[in-house]
Amino acid sequence: MRQFHSLLLCLSCLSFTLASSDYHEQLLLKPLHPSLLLASFNFQSNTTLASFEQQNFRYFPRSLGQILQHANTRELHLRFSLGRWDAESWGARPWGGAREGGTGVELWAWVEAETDEVADGRWLTLTNALSGLFCASLNFIDSTRTTRPIMSFQPSGDHKNSTFESLHLLHGTLPREVVCTENLTPFLKLLPCKGKAGISSLLDGHKLFDASWQSMSIDVRPICPLASNDCQLQITQTIDMVLDIQRSKRPRDNPIPRPVPNEELKCDTSKPYHTEDTCYPLDTAAREEEWTLSQIFGHPLKGACPLATDGIDPVCISVPHARQVFSSEGSHEHKDSSGFMRCYHLDSEKDFELVLPQQEISEKAPLEQPLLYAERSFIGYGQERGGVQAILTNPSLTEAVDFIYMESLPWFMKLYLHTLNAKINGLDTHQDVIQEMYYRPALDRKRGTQLEIRILIPANSTVVLTYDFEKAILRYTEYPPDANRGFDVAPAVITIGNVSIRTTSLLLPLPTPDFSMPYNVIILTSTVMALSFGFIFNLLVRRFVAVDEADQWDVRSVRLKVAALIKGKLKRFRKRVKMEKKE
Amino acid sequence: MNIDRRKATLFGAAAAVRLLLFTSFPGLPDLLTARVEISTPVTSFKRLQEGVFLYNHNVSPYDGGVYHQAPLLLPLFSLLPSSATYPAFTYLLYIILDLLSANALMCIAQSGEAVSSKLFTSPRKDKRWSNFAIAAAFLFNPFTIASCIGRPTSVFTNCAILHAISKAVNGNSFTAMFALSFAAYLSMYPILLFPPLALLCYDRRPPLKNPESIYSFVLGNAVAVGGSLYSLLHMSSLITGSWEFLSSTYGVQLLLPDLTPNVGLWWYFFIEMFDSFRNFFLGVFWIHLSSYVAGLTIRLRRQPLFVLTLLLGIFAIFKPYPSISDTSLFLAMLPLYRHVFPLMRYTFLASSTVLYATLLGPAFYYLWIYAGSGNANFFYAITLVWSLGLSLLTSDALFAVLRDELEVERPEMKGMEIRQI
Repeated sequence: MRQFHSLLLCLSCLSFTLASSDYHEQLLLKPLHPSLLLASFNFQSNTTLASFEQQNFRYFPRSLGQILQHANTRELHLRFSLGRWDAESWGARPWGGAREGGTGVELWAWVEAETDEVADGRWLTLTNALSGLFCASLNFIDSTRTTRPIMSFQPSGDHKNSTFESLHLLHGTLPREVVCTENLTPFLKLLPCKGKAGISSLLDGHKLFDASWQSMSIDVRPICPLASNDCQLQITQTIDMVLDIQRSKRPRDNPIPRPVPNEELKCDTSKPYHTEDTCYPLDTAAREEEWTLSQIFGHPLKGACPLATDGIDPVCISVPHARQVFSSEGSHEHKDSSGFMRCYHLDSEKDFELVLPQQEISEKAPLEQPLLYAERSFIGYGQERGGVQAILTNPSLTEAVDFIYMESLPWFMKLYLHTLNAKINGLDTHQDVIQEMYYRPALDRKRGTQLEIRILIPANSTVVLTYDFEKAILRYTEYPPDANRGFDVAPAVITIGNVSIRTTSLLLPLPTPDFSMPYNVIILTSTVMALSFGFIFNLLVRRFVAVDEADQWDVRSVRLKVAALIKGKLKRFRKRVKMEKKE
Repeated sequence: MNIDRRKATLFGAAAAVRLLLFTSFPGLPDLLTARVEISTPVTSFKRLQEGVFLYNHNVSPYDGGVYHQAPLLLPLFSLLPSSATYPAFTYLLYIILDLLSANALMCIAQSGEAVSSKLFTSPRKDKRWSNFAIAAAFLFNPFTIASCIGRPTSVFTNCAILHAISKAVNGNSFTAMFALSFAAYLSMYPILLFPPLALLCYDRRPPLKNPESIYSFVLGNAVAVGGSLYSLLHMSSLITGSWEFLSSTYGVQLLLPDLTPNVGLWWYFFIEMFDSFRNFFLGVFWIHLSSYVAGLTIRLRRQPLFVLTLLLGIFAIFKPYPSISDTSLFLAMLPLYRHVFPLMRYTFLASSTVLYATLLGPAFYYLWIYAGSGNANFFYAITLVWSLGLSLLTSDALFAVLRDELEVERPEMKGMEIRQI
């Protein structure tokens, strides 16, 4: 987005010129249609590499820094996301998709190590330590969920050429992870103002996880400015959320939506059937919602963070200049020249409030068109096999788009690559669309499938990519407790230069055995085997005789036999007693 | 020339039926390839196509968890045109394999080994079926036709086993051992057929001036099997570039990582098994499978062909990934012993159980996987019934042959009721 890129440029410039403060924060509010609000919180801290290595932490969080040192990680990107970005209504993603991850948790890092095994060991250390720091189950990112992408991810920091050879890129996803307040709290603890002042004081678990789409990201990268020789380590923490204004305005102690009373219904009075008890909802497209900052976020902004002393206005809102916006006293408004942005300088003692009243205005801030629309879903039915279909649309009328489509699938989805098919606008032309392919097949219970395809879509066309797969049936202990929910499949990552787009994750239902029956199955199968073995063993070992030659085993013969046995024993006993008497 | 015309008619009719089914129902081959009763993870045609695709694109098919079949099949199928665009060549290959198997079966029937081996002659030997009837029973058996249309690679194994037996019956022991080692190379279990096959070769070898002892003969044959196996494995390692295919092909049969449902007993047992007991029970199942060889070979020394038939039946029930093509092989060899069918006691029970399981199996599988209204226990129960029916059939056949042997020993027992003690 143009506004975002200009802001980012502004921030990075200031970070080099004003060495007085190494900490910057900014909040950007952008209303989306209809009655949605995109709020982007951005926090950035720098530290010089020298002080980092001497364990001299000021604005850079010590807990994260020590983990990075222990795991020899040079660059880290961690994402927690929930929800779905509706590209058709909301336009291009914030930050060009660079601060966004797939549903659940996504982590990729450049680890410095001599060999692959050492890199795997350091990755294990990294995931386990981060799992403890962020209260997320990152320790479940094991070898079956880790891949080493070849084409998709490029380092965004500056690494020296000497270290570049020994850097290993490792990427892990955990689509099943539910992100919630316990992940927000450690995130806020990493900030210098710790959620007590500045824009971070607006962040509240109740509102953040009620959003239609939210993404929390942490990026750590080294920057080496060209002029000087000393490098810096920069940590950028971003929270993006798309809040539904109506839903956020519901008070916290009364969150249940109740029917609006008749008097408050907004009806279209121009309809012929409009009466007391018939109401056609009024089209509110031209009307802007009224909202205030404390209504949306639950509490007002508690002044500016005193550690951010660089002069950047912390709160900006992207609305047309014609929109009425009222701010609390003590703050100064600066409108920018483009006509669609105004920023506020805050007072550090007083709370900050923004009020946007209801207004009839048809002018809206322009939305940037995304480079590609992507959606992915399952096709087929049944629990034996299925297919995956990805619909990729190039909306541009003039430019072709060249991108890399990366899929990281679990091992129990057995992919049949010979069924991969690409149809462009409904016709079958495999060769022109797929330029390059990298495929690493899955090994049962050891690693997942890694598929990276370079695709070129001509202008104004749609490509449908399909392939078949087979569902495996797992062992008893490998199913999660809610086995019939299914397994989550990580989203596909599409990389177009610096922009990245992610599809939604998929839910894969697998066939389940009957979990109540391990003992029964073992005894029944063993019975069948024993029966069969018994038949054949008896036939082989015993000899055949005629019916009359065989011993009879009815009641009379058994009685006679037992009587004969007892008589014989008595006789022997009496004989012995007699012989003893004689002596 | 009369015989050749009858044979040609029979083979022509069988080929015509298969061609008709291949061409007039275009979705049928893929439907049957997708059925679990016909395709298993180690014999599936779709996995073979995936393996050939990866092999042609220089990715090792054994580096993944999909392809578990023998490496020599890869260059064979890459020589044929792609089966997606020109399927006719694959169909012709499988039809030819079926006809070759039928030819080998006719050789076995013609030799009369079933009714009179070197050390034993049945008193009922006139009541046997003609070669054509036996070959027709094999070619027109629905199991055989279904496994031809579904194109699993167990058809190659069946063809190799039948050729091994037919060569042994004709006295060509070296060719028989090579065919056996080829079958063992493709699927692991035929190596357990070596003892009875060696005895069959020994019984049927052409008379020499200095007949060698049985021990040196068997040892020589064992060396032949070992040598051919080694050369086949070495060729495979040259094709794939390393020895890693061993754990993907034979390791899968030993350790069962892939638990796809099939008509056998192993899959559900090892799904429900906790991890600490897996290795123990894998060992138990393999020892159970191998334990039948010694007992049967010793007890039925005088009829090694029947030992082979019975072992094929037992393997069709108890091997790790069975399918109906193994059953079709057993049912191909069984009519050779038609002369002892009147002595069997449970024919009706066994055949109706097998028919019941054949018809209900696909229904319960559909209920579990597609309809969702049944669970895995339905299909598991049908596999139990199928295994019971087949084991009843095999043990009844064993009883009939032993009864036949008894009547030669003690002719006064003919027609009398007997007991076992």
